[in-house]
Amino acid sequence: MAAVLAAPMSRLRSRGWGGRIGYLVLAAALIYMIVLPLYRLQSLAFADGAQGYTSQYGRDDIGEVIWTTVQLAFFSLVIAMVLGTILAFATSRLPRRFAFLRIVPVLPIVLPAVANVVGWAFLLSPGPGYLNAAMRHLPWWNHLESGPIDIYTPTWIIILTGFGLTSFVYLFVSAGMASISAEHLEAAQTSGSSTIGVFFRVVLPLLRPSLIYGGGVALLLGLGQFTGPLLLGSNTGVKVLTTEMYRRVSESPSDFAAAAAAGSPLVVLGLVVVLGQKLLLGDQTRFVTHGGKAFKSAPVRSRWAVATIIVYGIVALVLPLIGLILVALTPYWSSSISWGLLTLDNFRTLFQTSDIMDSVVTSVVASSIAVLFCVPIGFMIANLLVRGRRYPVIRLVADLVSALPLGIPAVIFGVGFLLTYTEPPIILYGTRTVIVLVYIVLMIPFATRLQMTALLALGETYIEASATSGANSFTTNVRIILPLMRPAVLSAVALMFILLTHEFAASLLVRSPTTQVMGTRLYDLWANGSYPLVAAMALLMTAVTGLGVALAMLIGGRNVLDNL
Amino acid sequence: MSGITISNLTKRFGSNTIVDDLELTIGEGEFVVLLGPSGCGKTTTLRCLAGLETPEGGSISFGDRTVFDAKTHTDVATHRRNIGMIFQSYALWPHMTVRDNIGYPLKVRRKKEALRSGAVDKAAAMVDCDHLLDRYPSQLSGGQQQRVAVARGLVAEPDLVLFDEPLSNLDARLRDQVRTQIHQLHQRLGFSAVFVTHDQSEAFALGDRLAIMKGGRLEQCDTPQRVFDEPGSDYVAAFIGMGNRLALTRHHEGWQTANGDVLDLGSRSPERGGADEIIARLRPADLHLHRSGEDAPQGSTVLHATLVTTEFGGRHYDVLVDVAGERLTLQADTREHGAWLPGADEGAPVVVSFNPSDVRTYAADSASSAERETVAV
Repeated sequence: MAAVLAAPMSRLRSRGWGGRIGYLVLAAALIYMIVLPLYRLQSLAFADGAQGYTSQYGRDDIGEVIWTTVQLAFFSLVIAMVLGTILAFATSRLPRRFAFLRIVPVLPIVLPAVANVVGWAFLLSPGPGYLNAAMRHLPWWNHLESGPIDIYTPTWIIILTGFGLTSFVYLFVSAGMASISAEHLEAAQTSGSSTIGVFFRVVLPLLRPSLIYGGGVALLLGLGQFTGPLLLGSNTGVKVLTTEMYRRVSESPSDFAAAAAAGSPLVVLGLVVVLGQKLLLGDQTRFVTHGGKAFKSAPVRSRWAVATIIVYGIVALVLPLIGLILVALTPYWSSSISWGLLTLDNFRTLFQTSDIMDSVVTSVVASSIAVLFCVPIGFMIANLLVRGRRYPVIRLVADLVSALPLGIPAVIFGVGFLLTYTEPPIILYGTRTVIVLVYIVLMIPFATRLQMTALLALGETYIEASATSGANSFTTNVRIILPLMRPAVLSAVALMFILLTHEFAASLLVRSPTTQVMGTRLYDLWANGSYPLVAAMALLMTAVTGLGVALAMLIGGRNVLDNL
Repeated sequence: MSGITISNLTKRFGSNTIVDDLELTIGEGEFVVLLGPSGCGKTTTLRCLAGLETPEGGSISFGDRTVFDAKTHTDVATHRRNIGMIFQSYALWPHMTVRDNIGYPLKVRRKKEALRSGAVDKAAAMVDCDHLLDRYPSQLSGGQQQRVAVARGLVAEPDLVLFDEPLSNLDARLRDQVRTQIHQLHQRLGFSAVFVTHDQSEAFALGDRLAIMKGGRLEQCDTPQRVFDEPGSDYVAAFIGMGNRLALTRHHEGWQTANGDVLDLGSRSPERGGADEIIARLRPADLHLHRSGEDAPQGSTVLHATLVTTEFGGRHYDVLVDVAGERLTLQADTREHGAWLPGADEGAPVVVSFNPSDVRTYAADSASSAERETVAV
């Protein structure tokens, strides 16, 4: 043991002192921010002879809740994997003049999950849903009073969730496709494979690592899915673990112990996936390759690709937006649209309601501040992960801890932060600070991974050239690495801003009646049944996000979203 | 600064020892070339000098300043070693102009005086890139980029300039140009340099001394002329172009090939009492081809061979012959042999001769077959 310690310690004398202390502080801060709330939840759930577990898992319906959660995660994963992979393949085969459609699979990210869900509710609600009403004009359905589709059922919650996860799977898979050289495909084609043959025999097998990785992330996101089940399933009794957590905390008196216990399976699963990925992937620097011709230059262009992407764009983006716009412009939501009654009153009400405007300000301010903190934190972690071979232990800890918020649902962090910061020593409940803190935690995985990818792509030589020119690591960071990483950093900023202005699950828990963000305020309007205002609010959220992305594009160039 | 001393340098990656107890001194103003096939530890040695790798043992001193010593745990950071380095991939920072790239070592070392007095322009002029100062690296050709990188490596007048295979990414013509330019710069400026390459012609052209490495150790370290004339081992001989190898056994009248030819190696014959099995090494250019039955020149040694292939190479044919199961390559003058050689069949008997003074011999046990494979890179 002494020898193990002596070797790295001795090296401190000439270099690495500053680095080691800096990284130690970083790791400690990460543990405090990310692990402590989780630890407090568990210690509470295990208190009084594991009272939390007894009360949560003693319920009659717990089996059904877990079964629904698993079904939701599994089937939405299947939908997302199939659609995400098809979309990634389709974007790689777009004819040149339709190349602009490449942005379509990513665009639904700009539409907040809450907006997407309520948009579809406006279309497919069994009674007044516009699409349902339209379908009731079809001869075989004209006898129906309501339906034919009921969006408030588990099946449709699963379908919507699957659609929501598709963009994430797409991002992973298209990144994987970028590393397949066009020659692989050309070789298959010249050997006589058709497009479908190439897809199943060459593309899919080569994509397996990205599919497994993207699928793992999508599965966790599916298990932690909150927005759809809460907005659509509350009244019809569709319960999953995350909505159970919310219920335990929001009922009076709130039962944090039971909420913590309800989240435990998700925490354990998140840990398993994060650790499993570390074991399977190992040292990520091994995966740095020198690509040949990019996949994008595949010579065969297909018309089906254009059609697929356009259909996806309509279903994932245009239809829910139409639902939102129609409801936002009507005085009340009903199945028939009275074109003469369309009005902008809802937006006027929105802008005149001061707490709604406050929620917009809180969202933008909290998101911006969190992003400002996340970029340097993520940069430091990325640096440690890529170049910190001198500090294997700190590096491993930072690697695992920084990945946790991706593996563990936001709702759980919400409950953890609520518990941690409503009690001494630090009471932050009702402040914007606690929202900023939870936002920072949620974004650390994104800030880290995106900048890490950029650092890996940058390679070591530019950095070594700077060191051999006589520059210390600070100067190298400021004058060489950061300027070269600017596009990646701006992409990370744009993505984090989008995700945070949309944030709903964790915000719903740490908000207070006086400190709301856009998503939680929208939820209150939904719960009150003020549907036209909900629609207007959802559009406002989308607009705010869109402005943020436009700003990022203005600074970082048009391809900010391409880098995702 | 008076020279660089490397003592007992050892570097491992996991269980692989890449540099093994290496000893080397580089005199002030000397240009030393580290030569060897890939995996011989030459680049790792260079990176240890730069401080980009941390060795497990040994020490490195720049003059009387110790920059690394495993015993005293001294490890001076790269940016404090006052070096310049030129990389294989040029490593010009794409977001900076040529002027900013060349000026960077002066800026970060706070050499304001040099910046003011136009050191950047001078360095650029030195490598004929003064007209490119306001361009970005992406607007330059490979040769221009590497010349700018050389200027960047030299501009701050470092104690030691390190070249990590700087010519490997250039095409053949540019490679010769940049090589000549580096040679001229060294003659003019007299900096100390370590240059890593696997190309023997680069090594011969540039080095004051060549250090040929094998398995992390020095196999031979001498002037280019000495290395060329008297390769220290079978490994070195093979690496610097004596590609033809003949296994010989001692015979009472000289040395015998596997097919029974007895050769007189003259003054190159190892003394009696030495090894009974030897490897003879010969350059392709030192072998001469004759038709079967033709007389070889007086005083030359003769081998009986069969023809394997003939390739037209312009002024000469590249000919592959078989001597008792061992393949030898040689060059045959087109005008001299053009009449018969292209029509000769595979397996036709031919005669190969050489001057005994051109052969170099090594004890057979000094080169295992595995090592021969490494050398054939």
